[in-house]
Amino acid sequence: MHRIKWLLLSLVALVLMSANAEKLTFVLDVTENRSDEGQAIVAQLQAIGIDASLRVWQTTVLRDEMLAGTRAASTSDWGSAYFDPFDLAIPKLRTKDRGNYSFYSNAAVDEAFRVASTSIDDATREQAYLTAQRQIFADAPLVFGYVLQNIEAASDSVQGWEPAADNSENFSRVSVIGSDTLVIGMRVNAVVTLDPAMYRDRDTEAVLRNIFDALTIPTAEGQVQPHLATAWRVIDPLTYEFDLRSGVTFSNGEPLDADDVVFTFERILTEGAIDGATSPRAGLLGPIDHVEKVDATTVRFVYKETFPQELVLQALTHFQIVPKDYLTEVGVAAFTAKPIGSGPFVYARGALDSQVVLEANPTHWNGAPKLKSVVWQMMPEASTRIAALLAGEVQVIQAVPPDLVERIASVPGVAVHTALGTRSYQIELNNAAAPFDDTRVRQALNYAIDWDSILKNIYRGYADRLSTVFLPSGFGYAEDLAPYPYDPNKAKELLRQAGYETN
Amino acid sequence: MRLTKLLERVLSAVPVALGVAILAFLFLRFLPGDPVEIMLGDTQVSQQQLAALRSQLNLDKPLLTQLGIFLSGLLRGDLGESIVKHAPVAKLIGDTLPATIELTLATVLVGILIALPVGIISAVRSGSWLDRTVLSGALVGISMPAFWFGLIMILLFAVELRVLPTSGRIAAAMVVDRTTGFMLVDTLLAGDLKAFGVALKHLVLPALTLGVVFAAVLARVVRTSMLEVLSKDYVTTARAKGLREWGVILKHALRNALIPALTVTGLQFGELLGGNMIVETVFAWPGLGRLVVSSIFARDYVVVQAAVMLYALTYVGANLVVDALYTLLNPRIAL
Repeated sequence: MHRIKWLLLSLVALVLMSANAEKLTFVLDVTENRSDEGQAIVAQLQAIGIDASLRVWQTTVLRDEMLAGTRAASTSDWGSAYFDPFDLAIPKLRTKDRGNYSFYSNAAVDEAFRVASTSIDDATREQAYLTAQRQIFADAPLVFGYVLQNIEAASDSVQGWEPAADNSENFSRVSVIGSDTLVIGMRVNAVVTLDPAMYRDRDTEAVLRNIFDALTIPTAEGQVQPHLATAWRVIDPLTYEFDLRSGVTFSNGEPLDADDVVFTFERILTEGAIDGATSPRAGLLGPIDHVEKVDATTVRFVYKETFPQELVLQALTHFQIVPKDYLTEVGVAAFTAKPIGSGPFVYARGALDSQVVLEANPTHWNGAPKLKSVVWQMMPEASTRIAALLAGEVQVIQAVPPDLVERIASVPGVAVHTALGTRSYQIELNNAAAPFDDTRVRQALNYAIDWDSILKNIYRGYADRLSTVFLPSGFGYAEDLAPYPYDPNKAKELLRQAGYETN
Repeated sequence: MRLTKLLERVLSAVPVALGVAILAFLFLRFLPGDPVEIMLGDTQVSQQQLAALRSQLNLDKPLLTQLGIFLSGLLRGDLGESIVKHAPVAKLIGDTLPATIELTLATVLVGILIALPVGIISAVRSGSWLDRTVLSGALVGISMPAFWFGLIMILLFAVELRVLPTSGRIAAAMVVDRTTGFMLVDTLLAGDLKAFGVALKHLVLPALTLGVVFAAVLARVVRTSMLEVLSKDYVTTARAKGLREWGVILKHALRNALIPALTVTGLQFGELLGGNMIVETVFAWPGLGRLVVSSIFARDYVVVQAAVMLYALTYVGANLVVDALYTLLNPRIAL
């Protein structure tokens, strides 16, 4: 009697299991900052009969898991320092590249990327990027996501300031009504260093860009303009020549010339050049061989392989020129403790984990700044930054979370400012293993998620859809390529074609 | 307390700290995540560049070799250099520790100032409405998340009433030269009374946030041990001698009732000296907790293993001080 009962029970279980097995089943792994989004996505997928469940991870741990190929679907994000897909789409989608967590590989795309990152003709590069985008869109190696806007806030007393797309806060033309000091609430725990060769993060760069000048400077929208370099030309396909602005001095009176520029790049490109340590910044310059002096106001950048001029100009906005004589005289440690640059502000004092105080450089070649001093105040908690802005302690704050925007918008005297984001957020799918080695399944997921409602409800509209991982602010963006629309029926149709059962 | 005993205790802390450091070293290496990958962020980096950076930081060496490098540095008094910040770890910890110590002292002071009178009164009037209010108040205090409480304090005192600053250790525009790293001391050394006042105001909210929670724990301990002591024979004797009631309570009972409270305070000291990352983050207080947590996220092993060693030493030290104080309160307790 008992035996028959067990037999019947296991039969029922078997039938139930085989019915379930036909549904698409996977775990969506998300980083902690995107767990709300993950919940919404899982609910949407379940609604059409996908058996998706959610798991939340610490970012670093999840990345290790993705690289090991043990995850099926995971959230990821990747930022760009160039207004070009060179350091976003390429590392993310070129075969075996550093950010290719989805193990995507398409020879046609690889070839387009090769052309785009080595050709010195802009039209050819643009065409290559357009080709790559269409192919990537069709292959759907990822669930394409969105770009978050860069949300900051400021007191209305701040004049002449707008947040920049790449956090390049330059306060040389900013003023504050009723005060000669501007205090900025920064989002980080600490600025990494004051040595322009030893950091890789944007927040450190934001501070350094006010103490030092670079050869080129970006506008808020990412256009490159002359700065310490006044003109440039192509000498041969591997060599770019730059004229330096004459009459520029560092704040200690030392003149800035070709020797300083060559020195700046040598200490970044030479292994172990910084008291035995190597700069983590060399990768930003592409396949460069060396930088050489032609005369006191002319330098040449010599490449090992052809590298597009626009990328060189973009890269140079990120390299702050340091004084050779002062740095060699006092040494790296003393220089880092009291850096000297040629920028609109001079480092006065501070501690990297609490506040960095800069004072105006009255002899800056581009005219003295309007402010007397700028204070960078480290405020890692967003609610504290907002409280400090409302209390009038700071005038500008970085990184306002979308759900706290209303807290500021309703208060008179302060306002929210936004700039284009430079970071793509997406869901990686493991293209190398089932179930996501099937293009139809990957496309189905792209149709199955209602991003518009997620961006509206969770990110309060401060985010924009992406058709692939190419940013609208970057070079070679396909304007006519619309993102995958939300189409649950199409998603179900594709899943059925791939052999899965749906609701 | 005999000096040899004390010395013995101090020396016994050394193997403890060393053992903890080795454990921390090993555990950290098993944590997923590569410090070089994290540091380089989203860049086009060649595998050669990655490998070069790893080898420079000794991250490509076998685990035992790395441990050997760490221990031999330790013997020479060298804690190593931060992977991310390229600064000596001793300097990084030395820069943040004064801020944490300052906050710890203020927190313990706030805690004692609240808990002692409240605990004593609550014990003396045990069962009264006052006692019941204290007990339930303490329960609220213990269960309150510091993150939430800190933000409420900021909104109330800094944004609405504007009597205290939101965060930081000193006003943005104020110049104080760093000599000791203790803001209250440095402002006095500089002879700047105005800055001293400003620094003191900055200390109030974080110290209250941590102090109220500590006071809640301590008040309950004081109350319980006070109740126990008050029922002892010697207290009855003291009363029978005709001593005034408050004299009995404060002179005879309190001394013995303080011993459990001291234990709790010592433990709290050890914990607070590690830096409370949450409160340090909410109040933008540049202390040890923030340094350690951000170093964990960046997999900056060198900073974390040194900090963990320091934690062990702090706990051992705090316990030692507590034991020494026991003998002062009650000479019959031997070290």
